[in-house]
Amino acid sequence: MPASYEQQITLAGDLHARPAGALAVAAARFASAVSVTASGSTADAKSVLGVMGLGATSGQHITVSAAGPDAREAVAALIAILGQATKVGG
Amino acid sequence: MTAQPMSTGTVGIVLVSHSAELAAGAAHLAAQVSGGTVTIIAAGGTDDGELGTSAAKVERGLRLAESGLGVVVLPDLGSAVLTVRAVLEDEDPATNVVMADAPFVEGAVAATVTAAAGGDIKAVAAAAEEARNARKL
Repeated sequence: MPASYEQQITLAGDLHARPAGALAVAAARFASAVSVTASGSTADAKSVLGVMGLGATSGQHITVSAAGPDAREAVAALIAILGQATKVGG
Repeated sequence: MTAQPMSTGTVGIVLVSHSAELAAGAAHLAAQVSGGTVTIIAAGGTDDGELGTSAAKVERGLRLAESGLGVVVLPDLGSAVLTVRAVLEDEDPATNVVMADAPFVEGAVAATVTAAAGGDIKAVAAAAEEARNARKL
Protein backbone atom coordinates (compact mmCIF):
# COMPACT_ATOMS: atom_id res chain seq x y z
CA MET A 1 0.00 0.00 0.00
CA PRO A 2 1.77 3.17 -1.10
CA ALA A 3 1.95 5.85 1.52
CA SER A 4 3.21 9.36 1.68
CA TYR A 5 5.17 11.03 4.42
CA GLU A 6 6.85 14.32 4.96
CA GLN A 7 9.08 15.84 7.57
CA GLN A 8 10.70 19.20 8.05
CA ILE A 9 14.20 20.12 9.19
CA THR A 10 15.95 23.42 9.75
CA LEU A 11 19.29 23.44 7.96
CA ALA A 12 22.33 23.81 10.20
CA GLY A 13 24.44 24.79 7.20
CA ASP A 14 24.11 25.57 3.51
CA LEU A 15 22.96 22.83 1.16
CA HIS A 16 26.14 22.90 -0.93
CA ALA A 17 27.30 20.57 -3.67
CA ARG A 18 28.52 17.73 -1.47
CA PRO A 19 25.45 17.37 0.74
CA ALA A 20 23.26 17.75 -2.36
CA GLY A 21 25.17 14.86 -3.94
CA ALA A 22 24.86 12.74 -0.81
CA LEU A 23 21.13 13.45 -0.74
CA ALA A 24 20.63 12.48 -4.39
CA VAL A 25 22.69 9.28 -4.04
CA ALA A 26 20.65 8.27 -0.98
CA ALA A 27 17.30 9.20 -2.54
CA ALA A 28 18.02 7.05 -5.58
CA ARG A 29 18.08 3.94 -3.39
CA PHE A 30 14.36 4.24 -2.70
CA ALA A 31 11.50 3.26 -4.94
CA SER A 32 9.36 6.13 -3.69
CA ALA A 33 9.17 9.50 -5.38
CA VAL A 34 11.07 11.85 -3.08
CA SER A 35 11.12 15.62 -3.20
CA VAL A 36 12.76 18.42 -1.28
CA THR A 37 11.08 21.80 -0.81
CA ALA A 38 12.78 25.00 0.31
CA SER A 39 11.22 28.48 0.24
CA GLY A 40 8.43 27.40 -2.07
CA SER A 41 10.69 25.68 -4.60
CA THR A 42 10.52 21.93 -4.94
CA ALA A 43 13.14 19.64 -6.46
CA ASP A 44 13.25 15.93 -7.17
CA ALA A 45 15.57 14.66 -4.42
CA LYS A 46 17.04 12.15 -6.89
CA SER A 47 18.27 14.98 -9.12
CA VAL A 48 21.51 16.43 -7.79
CA LEU A 49 21.21 19.42 -10.11
CA GLY A 50 17.67 20.05 -8.91
CA VAL A 51 18.70 19.89 -5.26
CA MET A 52 21.69 22.16 -5.86
CA GLY A 53 19.40 24.52 -7.74
CA LEU A 54 17.28 25.08 -4.63
CA GLY A 55 20.11 27.17 -3.22
CA ALA A 56 18.99 26.27 0.30
CA THR A 57 20.98 27.96 3.02
CA SER A 58 21.60 27.68 6.73
CA GLY A 59 18.54 28.33 8.86
CA GLN A 60 16.06 27.56 6.10
CA HIS A 61 13.26 25.12 6.71
CA ILE A 62 13.41 22.18 4.32
CA THR A 63 10.57 19.75 3.78
CA VAL A 64 11.32 16.24 2.59
CA SER A 65 8.30 14.49 1.08
CA ALA A 66 8.04 10.96 -0.24
CA ALA A 67 5.28 8.92 -1.80
CA GLY A 68 5.58 5.22 -2.44
CA PRO A 69 6.21 1.85 -0.84
CA ASP A 70 9.27 2.96 1.16
CA ALA A 71 8.25 6.57 1.74
CA ARG A 72 8.78 6.48 5.49
CA GLU A 73 12.32 5.08 5.21
CA ALA A 74 13.19 7.51 2.43
CA VAL A 75 12.13 10.54 4.46
CA ALA A 76 14.01 9.29 7.52
CA ALA A 77 17.19 8.67 5.53
CA LEU A 78 17.14 12.05 3.82
CA ILE A 79 16.36 13.97 6.98
CA ALA A 80 19.34 12.24 8.61
CA ILE A 81 21.61 13.27 5.73
CA LEU A 82 20.35 16.85 5.80
CA GLY A 83 20.99 16.93 9.53
CA GLN A 84 24.56 15.64 9.24
CA ALA A 85 25.89 16.72 5.88
CA THR A 86 25.02 20.37 6.17
CA LYS A 87 26.90 20.69 9.46
CA VAL A 88 30.25 20.24 7.77
CA GLY A 89 29.38 22.38 4.77
CA GLY A 90 30.63 21.45 1.39
CA MET B 1 44.91 12.50 -16.99
CA THR B 2 43.71 12.27 -13.47
CA ALA B 3 42.24 9.14 -11.99
CA GLN B 4 39.89 9.77 -9.12
CA PRO B 5 39.66 7.10 -6.41
CA MET B 6 39.32 3.69 -8.01
CA SER B 7 36.28 1.61 -7.39
CA THR B 8 34.43 -1.33 -8.73
CA GLY B 9 30.77 -1.80 -9.16
CA THR B 10 29.69 1.41 -10.86
CA VAL B 11 29.52 2.70 -14.39
CA GLY B 12 32.71 4.63 -15.19
CA ILE B 13 32.90 8.19 -16.51
CA VAL B 14 35.35 9.70 -19.00
CA LEU B 15 35.46 13.48 -19.38
CA VAL B 16 36.91 14.60 -22.71
CA SER B 17 37.79 18.27 -22.86
CA HIS B 18 39.96 20.48 -25.02
CA SER B 19 41.57 21.61 -21.78
CA ALA B 20 43.40 19.23 -19.43
CA GLU B 21 42.63 21.58 -16.56
CA LEU B 22 38.93 21.74 -17.40
CA ALA B 23 38.65 17.95 -17.60
CA ALA B 24 40.58 17.51 -14.34
CA GLY B 25 38.56 20.19 -12.59
CA ALA B 26 35.24 18.76 -13.70
CA ALA B 27 36.40 15.30 -12.59
CA HIS B 28 37.40 16.68 -9.20
CA LEU B 29 34.07 18.45 -8.75
CA ALA B 30 32.06 15.41 -9.84
CA ALA B 31 34.06 13.17 -7.49
CA GLN B 32 33.46 15.50 -4.55
CA VAL B 33 29.73 15.78 -5.18
CA SER B 34 29.25 12.05 -5.71
CA GLY B 35 31.29 10.94 -2.72
CA GLY B 36 34.34 9.53 -4.49
CA THR B 37 32.99 6.07 -5.26
CA VAL B 38 32.93 6.36 -9.05
CA THR B 39 35.94 6.07 -11.35
CA ILE B 40 36.12 9.34 -13.28
CA ILE B 41 38.90 9.74 -15.81
CA ALA B 42 39.87 13.16 -17.12
CA ALA B 43 41.01 12.98 -20.75
CA GLY B 44 41.79 16.58 -21.59
CA GLY B 45 44.20 18.31 -23.92
CA THR B 46 46.41 16.98 -26.69
CA ASP B 47 49.25 14.50 -26.23
CA ASP B 48 51.73 17.38 -25.92
CA GLY B 49 49.61 19.28 -23.42
CA GLU B 50 48.08 21.84 -25.75
CA LEU B 51 44.41 22.76 -26.08
CA GLY B 52 42.69 20.05 -28.08
CA THR B 53 41.75 16.43 -27.73
CA SER B 54 43.69 13.20 -27.98
CA ALA B 55 42.44 9.86 -29.24
CA ALA B 56 45.17 8.16 -27.20
CA LYS B 57 43.97 9.85 -24.00
CA VAL B 58 40.37 8.93 -24.73
CA GLU B 59 41.30 5.29 -25.44
CA ARG B 60 43.28 5.09 -22.22
CA GLY B 61 40.44 6.74 -20.34
CA LEU B 62 37.95 4.18 -21.60
CA ARG B 63 40.17 1.34 -20.40
CA LEU B 64 40.79 2.91 -16.99
CA ALA B 65 37.13 3.75 -16.39
CA GLU B 66 35.75 0.33 -17.29
CA SER B 67 34.99 -1.81 -14.28
CA GLY B 68 32.59 -4.19 -15.98
CA LEU B 69 29.43 -2.10 -16.10
CA GLY B 70 30.29 0.15 -19.00
CA VAL B 71 31.50 3.70 -19.48
CA VAL B 72 29.73 6.98 -20.24
CA VAL B 73 31.84 9.53 -22.12
CA LEU B 74 31.14 13.26 -22.02
CA PRO B 75 32.81 15.43 -24.67
CA ASP B 76 32.99 19.19 -24.15
CA LEU B 77 32.86 20.94 -27.54
CA GLY B 78 32.95 20.28 -31.26
CA SER B 79 35.96 18.22 -32.20
CA ALA B 80 35.96 16.40 -28.85
CA VAL B 81 32.88 14.65 -30.23
CA LEU B 82 34.78 13.71 -33.40
CA THR B 83 37.71 12.37 -31.41
CA VAL B 84 35.44 10.21 -29.25
CA ARG B 85 33.56 8.96 -32.32
CA ALA B 86 36.82 8.02 -34.03
CA VAL B 87 37.95 6.10 -30.96
CA LEU B 88 34.63 4.31 -30.62
CA GLU B 89 34.72 3.25 -34.27
CA ASP B 90 37.99 1.44 -33.59
CA GLU B 91 36.78 -0.18 -30.39
CA ASP B 92 35.64 -3.76 -30.11
CA PRO B 93 31.88 -3.71 -30.90
CA ALA B 94 31.31 -5.51 -27.60
CA THR B 95 32.69 -2.53 -25.69
CA ASN B 96 29.99 -1.03 -23.53
CA VAL B 97 30.50 2.70 -24.08
CA VAL B 98 27.94 5.47 -24.57
CA MET B 99 28.73 9.06 -25.53
CA ALA B 100 26.31 11.45 -23.82
CA ASP B 101 25.09 14.64 -25.50
CA ALA B 102 25.15 16.80 -22.40
CA PRO B 103 26.38 20.05 -20.89
CA PHE B 104 29.89 19.27 -19.67
CA VAL B 105 29.91 20.31 -16.02
CA GLU B 106 26.27 19.64 -15.18
CA GLY B 107 26.34 16.41 -17.14
CA ALA B 108 29.50 15.22 -15.39
CA VAL B 109 27.99 15.90 -11.96
CA ALA B 110 24.59 14.36 -12.75
CA ALA B 111 26.09 11.30 -14.46
CA THR B 112 28.53 10.65 -11.64
CA VAL B 113 25.90 10.96 -8.92
CA THR B 114 23.67 8.55 -10.83
CA ALA B 115 26.57 6.13 -11.21
CA ALA B 116 27.32 6.43 -7.48
CA ALA B 117 23.70 5.57 -6.77
CA GLY B 118 24.08 2.35 -8.74
CA GLY B 119 22.51 3.45 -12.01
CA ASP B 120 23.20 1.36 -15.11
CA ILE B 121 24.86 2.77 -18.22
CA LYS B 122 21.53 3.86 -19.71
CA ALA B 123 20.49 5.64 -16.52
CA VAL B 124 23.87 7.35 -16.21
CA ALA B 125 23.81 8.56 -19.82
CA ALA B 126 20.19 9.71 -19.41
CA ALA B 127 21.08 11.65 -16.25
CA ALA B 128 23.83 13.44 -18.16
CA GLU B 129 21.53 14.29 -21.05
CA GLU B 130 18.70 15.43 -18.78
CA ALA B 131 21.13 17.90 -17.21
CA ARG B 132 20.41 20.28 -20.07
CA ASN B 133 16.92 20.76 -18.62
CA ALA B 134 18.14 21.86 -15.22
CA ARG B 135 17.73 25.60 -14.86
CA LYS B 136 20.26 27.57 -12.87
CA LEU B 137 18.16 30.66 -12.28
